[in-house]
Amino acid sequence: MTDEHSNEAPALASAQFAAIARVRWQIFINSLRSIRGRMEAVSRGLVGLWFGVGGLGGGAALGFAAAFFIGHGHVEWLAFLLWPIFLFWQLFPIIATALTETFDSSNLLRFPLSYRSFFIVRLVYGSLDPATAMGSLWLLGLFVGITVAKPLLFLATAAVLVLFGAMNLLLARTIFAWLERWLAQRRTREIMGLIFFLIIVGVQFIGPITARFEHHSHAQAAQYGEALLPVERVLPPGLAAASIAQFSRGNFTYGLAPLLLLGVYAVSFFWLFHVRVLAQFRGENLGESAAAKPASRARKLPVRAGWEIPFVSGPTAAIFQKELTYLTRSGPMLFTLLMPIVILLIFRVTPGKNGVNTFMNVAPNFAFPVGAAYALLMLTNLIYNNFGADASGVQFWFVSPARLREVVRAKNLVHMTILAAEMVLVWIAVDLMFRTPSLLYTIATIAAVLFAAPINFAIGNLLSIYSPKKIDFGTFGRQRAASATAFSALLVQAGIFGIVALAFVVGVHLHNLWITTGVLLVLAVFAFVGYAAVLRHIDTLALTRRESLIFELSKA
Amino acid sequence: MDSSAVSTEHLTRTFGKLVAVQDVNLRVAPGQFFGFLGPNGAGKSTTIKMLTGLLAPTTGRIEILGLDLTANPVDVKRQIGVVPEGMALFGRLTGAEYLNFVGRMYGLDRETAAKRTAELLDFMQLSGQPKSLVTDYSHGMQKKLALAAAVIHGPKILFLDEPFEGVDAIASGTLKAMLQRMISHGATIFLTSHVLEIVERLCSHVAIIHQGRLVAQGSLEDLRAGVEAQAPEPSAPGEPAVAPARNGEKLTLEELFLRIVGGTRLADQELSWLG
Repeated sequence: MTDEHSNEAPALASAQFAAIARVRWQIFINSLRSIRGRMEAVSRGLVGLWFGVGGLGGGAALGFAAAFFIGHGHVEWLAFLLWPIFLFWQLFPIIATALTETFDSSNLLRFPLSYRSFFIVRLVYGSLDPATAMGSLWLLGLFVGITVAKPLLFLATAAVLVLFGAMNLLLARTIFAWLERWLAQRRTREIMGLIFFLIIVGVQFIGPITARFEHHSHAQAAQYGEALLPVERVLPPGLAAASIAQFSRGNFTYGLAPLLLLGVYAVSFFWLFHVRVLAQFRGENLGESAAAKPASRARKLPVRAGWEIPFVSGPTAAIFQKELTYLTRSGPMLFTLLMPIVILLIFRVTPGKNGVNTFMNVAPNFAFPVGAAYALLMLTNLIYNNFGADASGVQFWFVSPARLREVVRAKNLVHMTILAAEMVLVWIAVDLMFRTPSLLYTIATIAAVLFAAPINFAIGNLLSIYSPKKIDFGTFGRQRAASATAFSALLVQAGIFGIVALAFVVGVHLHNLWITTGVLLVLAVFAFVGYAAVLRHIDTLALTRRESLIFELSKA
Repeated sequence: MDSSAVSTEHLTRTFGKLVAVQDVNLRVAPGQFFGFLGPNGAGKSTTIKMLTGLLAPTTGRIEILGLDLTANPVDVKRQIGVVPEGMALFGRLTGAEYLNFVGRMYGLDRETAAKRTAELLDFMQLSGQPKSLVTDYSHGMQKKLALAAAVIHGPKILFLDEPFEGVDAIASGTLKAMLQRMISHGATIFLTSHVLEIVERLCSHVAIIHQGRLVAQGSLEDLRAGVEAQAPEPSAPGEPAVAPARNGEKLTLEELFLRIVGGTRLADQELSWLG
């Protein structure tokens, strides 16, 4: 490892670590000054508690399972316990990163930190996450289970599991560091966003695929298992399990070989992490700012006139065009909008148990309402955080001659257009995957959306003003709305879906879906009146809240 | 109030117990290139935010082009252009898309907005990267784009909050040329800047705010005359007065500024660890 300031006094490094820890603590304490910060802290506390329970409970379960395997002479089966730990440790931080804000340690580079200190900070701070905590607790449970079942394995198990834990830690940090590199630039970030989305979608299909394999014979399954076994054995969880198995049989030489290989993995990940951190330490420049090109080299394109939309004013058409342009430039956001179709596909390919098909296959009439509901749900992030993607551009709405109600109405119009387009897509998908939705169900679903959409828009408009959060369509991480917004949206959706479901239940029970449609249309009138009332007051509300709105969305 | 382009009456803004701007009475005549100066935290940005509708005054009145801002915000905003502190750009549009959008928001028809967009991009030398998103522009390019957006509708008054901050000499030259051209066409420009040399070169009138209060207002000549008339005597024999006027030379704006806000250059003060 290169140390560019090898003469640095250890005292300075300790003082720097203490200063970093202290500043993190101060940032946390300062965040508690606002109600929002306190709410975030409470929600983090609850999540932490949940992880703690998961860690301890999981550790105990793994310990019992390990003791059971050892007691019954199936030491190799420890691999079945090590694989989930390994996968969770590596995958969870990636998923969690997409949802949480992380500490940017590159800010520390302006201080006289030695490379060694910087490396340690990157390793240690990054490791203070739920995956490491839970992974460590689970390994501890495993260790206790194994040594209780076979006390002689105390030392060997400790060595293997410590190395396995260190390897996991280093791999997780390495993945993270390289992801960070790819996420540093807009284009690579968007590509990563798409890959991430495809992985998430892919994961949804694991259930249906494994369900299909359940119908294959055990012999066939064993065949697949045997084919995969050589690969499994040379991967870290397999190596750790093999090492403990060999030590338990007293084959110390054979036990050391997989342990050494595990060490090779750890060293390799250490080196890969070091390469990344060193590049960062040496001040790599990942800036993307476009430099002005000389006029002679400039390639000009004709400026096209903006859209013209019938029955809509120029400014509304301009906002409509701007919002749609923003959406079309966001791969992840576009794919999110395709999710209702993906969900329908998952329902379609999931075979039911004992020959009974899934709910959607049994009651295909509900495929369209469920798809439409999902489409609305997918739009929640947009509807409830109207100004989030505008970032500091939100100031423009306050200096421009447009009224805020016009801006908000145009944004709602865009969301309604997307929802309508989604419903058409869902209808076609249901037609292709299940059967043509009946006219009655189609009309009832449209009535339900006419009821649900204005309520969502009305509450969404209020929350957009009262609880805004900056989002970047080009980034796949940190795209969550504010916690208060997410919680309120959940309650609203639960209420709306409850009412709609009740209306459908009554209609189906009375064999007359026109009742459902009628009830929902009456409710839609009330919803629209409520929406119009909110819209009437939106200018006053926005002007009252403009300072906090601008401040929140202009944050770096 | 009167026929000023910008006028305020007892403009005050508080944040909790902090009085950021107190009882400010500004007068900016039509066609003036007006510099609004003050030390850090004096209340410049708060004032310009109130004048452009980004912040509500706690008390007081603002009139722009004879219209009460609170009563007629839309009519006022239609006639002004603003480059606020954060530039208010939409990062995920291209420069052309952004200007086109802004033009239409100010009520220009589609063709006029497109035509002016093309002209402005050329003038600001931003037409070289038609596909680059605003978020990928350099800081200077973003400043030029923000200024282009502020003038696309031909405003009568332009409010600029630190327009030259972080802008290189070439971009700065382009911005100045554009502003001079606007002044020659009868527009009023109200700018804040920390770069006193630029303000001195561009502005005909200035106002200085200090600790939330307006401490001076008028043409540069008026300010010079006022300061020279009140030039303090050296407080001790052999000790120079703050920023003395050189023989036969006019006081620079920096010297005026230091005298008015009572600041001193701390060149002689020592830091314990620097000696």
